[in-house]
Amino acid sequence: MTEKTENLVINLRSIKKRYDDEAGVLNALRGIDLTVKKGDFLAIMGPSGSGKSTLMNIIGLLDRPSRGNYFLDGIDTSKLGDNQLSKLRRDKIGFIFQTFNLLPRLNILQNVELPMVYRGISLKKRKLKATKILKSLGLEDKIKSRTNRLSGGQIQRAAIARSLVNDPSLILADEPSGNLDSKTSDEVMKILVRLNKTGTTIVMVTHSSEIAAYASRSVRVKDGKIS
Amino acid sequence: MLIQNLKTAFSSILSAKLRSFLTMLGIIIGVAAVLLMLAVGEGVKFQVSGQISNLGSNVLTVTSGQVLNSSGNNQRSASFNPSSSLGASTLTEKDLESIKKINDINLVSPIMLVSSLITGGSNVSSTTNIIATTSSYGIIRNLKFANGSFFTEEDNLSGSNVAVIGSTAKKNLFGDKNPIDQEILIRNQPFKIIGLLEESETGTNLGPSFDDAIYIPLNSAVNLTQTKQIFRIIVQVSSANNIDQAKSQIESTLKTNHGGQKDFSVLTQKDLISAFSSILDTLTSFIVAIASISLIVGGIGIMNIMLVSVSERTREIGIRKTVGATFSNILEQFLIEAMVISLIGGFFGLILSVIGGLIIKKVVNITPVYSLRAILIAFSLSVIIGIIFGVAPAIKAARKRPIQALKAL
Ligand SMILES: Nc1ncnc2c1ncn2[C@@H]1O[C@H](COP(=O)(O)OP(=O)(O)OP(=O)(O)O)[C@@H](O)[C@H]1O
Ligand SMILES: [Mg+2]
Repeated sequence: MTEKTENLVINLRSIKKRYDDEAGVLNALRGIDLTVKKGDFLAIMGPSGSGKSTLMNIIGLLDRPSRGNYFLDGIDTSKLGDNQLSKLRRDKIGFIFQTFNLLPRLNILQNVELPMVYRGISLKKRKLKATKILKSLGLEDKIKSRTNRLSGGQIQRAAIARSLVNDPSLILADEPSGNLDSKTSDEVMKILVRLNKTGTTIVMVTHSSEIAAYASRSVRVKDGKIS
Repeated sequence: MLIQNLKTAFSSILSAKLRSFLTMLGIIIGVAAVLLMLAVGEGVKFQVSGQISNLGSNVLTVTSGQVLNSSGNNQRSASFNPSSSLGASTLTEKDLESIKKINDINLVSPIMLVSSLITGGSNVSSTTNIIATTSSYGIIRNLKFANGSFFTEEDNLSGSNVAVIGSTAKKNLFGDKNPIDQEILIRNQPFKIIGLLEESETGTNLGPSFDDAIYIPLNSAVNLTQTKQIFRIIVQVSSANNIDQAKSQIESTLKTNHGGQKDFSVLTQKDLISAFSSILDTLTSFIVAIASISLIVGGIGIMNIMLVSVSERTREIGIRKTVGATFSNILEQFLIEAMVISLIGGFFGLILSVIGGLIIKKVVNITPVYSLRAILIAFSLSVIIGIIFGVAPAIKAARKRPIQALKAL
């Protein structure tokens, strides 16, 4: 049992999330238990509104659960302050979004460097590493371009590059191919598979069972519970 | 991190040039106003000090009234009360004679002012000062002549109607014509011009000018006005080293003459400069304080735009926080942006104030002096304004929670 928890990147214990605002009360997550081992590639599926993104935001430390405990790499995150969460995200998690979320005013290289900027890595090292990763994703000639000059697939590859620069223990992808055509989403999925093969832990949300097939295992969320 | 934030600040300022400029405008105007006022104050001080320095460091001026309150050593803080030297003078012929008897005193010369229009050539001047004095005056003041010379003591004793004319007065009355041997009318009495002064180096139109003046013998003035009023006495001491000693001797002598009352002042060149400096400093700081209000208004402008900018950039903040920015990372980013805006504003303000200075020089003939101190004050003020009015927007930005910020449109 102890040996088992040591290898867990994600360990969720009866996570609940309740939205309580003027519009009313909504229990988006009603007790989620989920573990992800180092090297896993997990797909989270489920109908719209079932709570997949809510779960991903909690795993990504972008939001806090209303109840329950979340251990990331064995660290109890419920005791941490906002700044410590920022640093954990910076050092341990890479994010890939359906809407890409790159900064339009920065070029691709600057976007990819950004997580390293906040880690305090020197300009020279940043440039070296970002360029290397962008090259490995076939974006070497787009380094100076801004996002508005790139195709969706290229932008998503840049976002993948950004998610990798700080050597995270975990990559979170919320519908990474949701805005891409089937050919480019295949490309993106192949990149993720390749990354997983080299040992990166990945959690991905998707609607599509075709996409989920790239993962090594999958779970279903329904009405805020894993079914 | 700092360099990164500076880059971010510049790119964000450049991405909305017009808006950035409008944001800066308040700071530009504020800094220009503050700097220009400081520079004009400094310029006036410089000119007046220059004029006073021309008197020479071994010259004492005795004037009626207590011009400088506080006899302490701290001359900078001495309060200056020039109006006490106006009105009926307390200086007398006896004072003049007593001063002459004091050791180490070379020359003594009384001054009486005569009011009158002056007619000369085909012009009339009402601005020209008429200074009635003795022949020593020319030596004490070390007057330089473009033509002719100062009147002699014989001219004075005999009360002859001769006059020496300053360069500005000559220009006003005679234009380019040679005034020597020409006649001018003072209170309808003809005076013959026997000397023309060189233009003094620190020519200015502030206060009574030595250039816009006509000098006549004291006795001629007494005949003309039927009164004798000693307005001032100027004294030349044997050397600048004896000046303080001479000053206290004159003070004690005159105090005895005046029945123990110190209703007069003995001023060295240093006293005069510090007195003028102190009133000018007071005036300048008053005007600068008013000008500073525009800086505060400028600061509020920055705050306003920064708040809008923070709202518009919520998503950017969300993305930055997602990839690991902490509270202080974001705070620093927006604070630096506010400071860069106000510093650039300060820089343009400096340029604007130099342009304003050129105009002022043209229009009122004061050369503004931009001291390093004033420039540093202006720049630190803009940085401080940037910080003060940038803090609220920056905190607002830094407090944003990543998940809400990411969802913003
Ligand atoms: N900030 C919020 N405030 C209130 N309710 C919310 C908030 N975010 C999500 N919800 C609600 O929580 C539920 C789960 O939302 P979530 O975004 O996790 O669904 P999802 O499974 O990701 O759906 P989709 O597949 O459409 O992306 C939904 O009913 C949604 O309306
Ligand atoms: Mg979703």
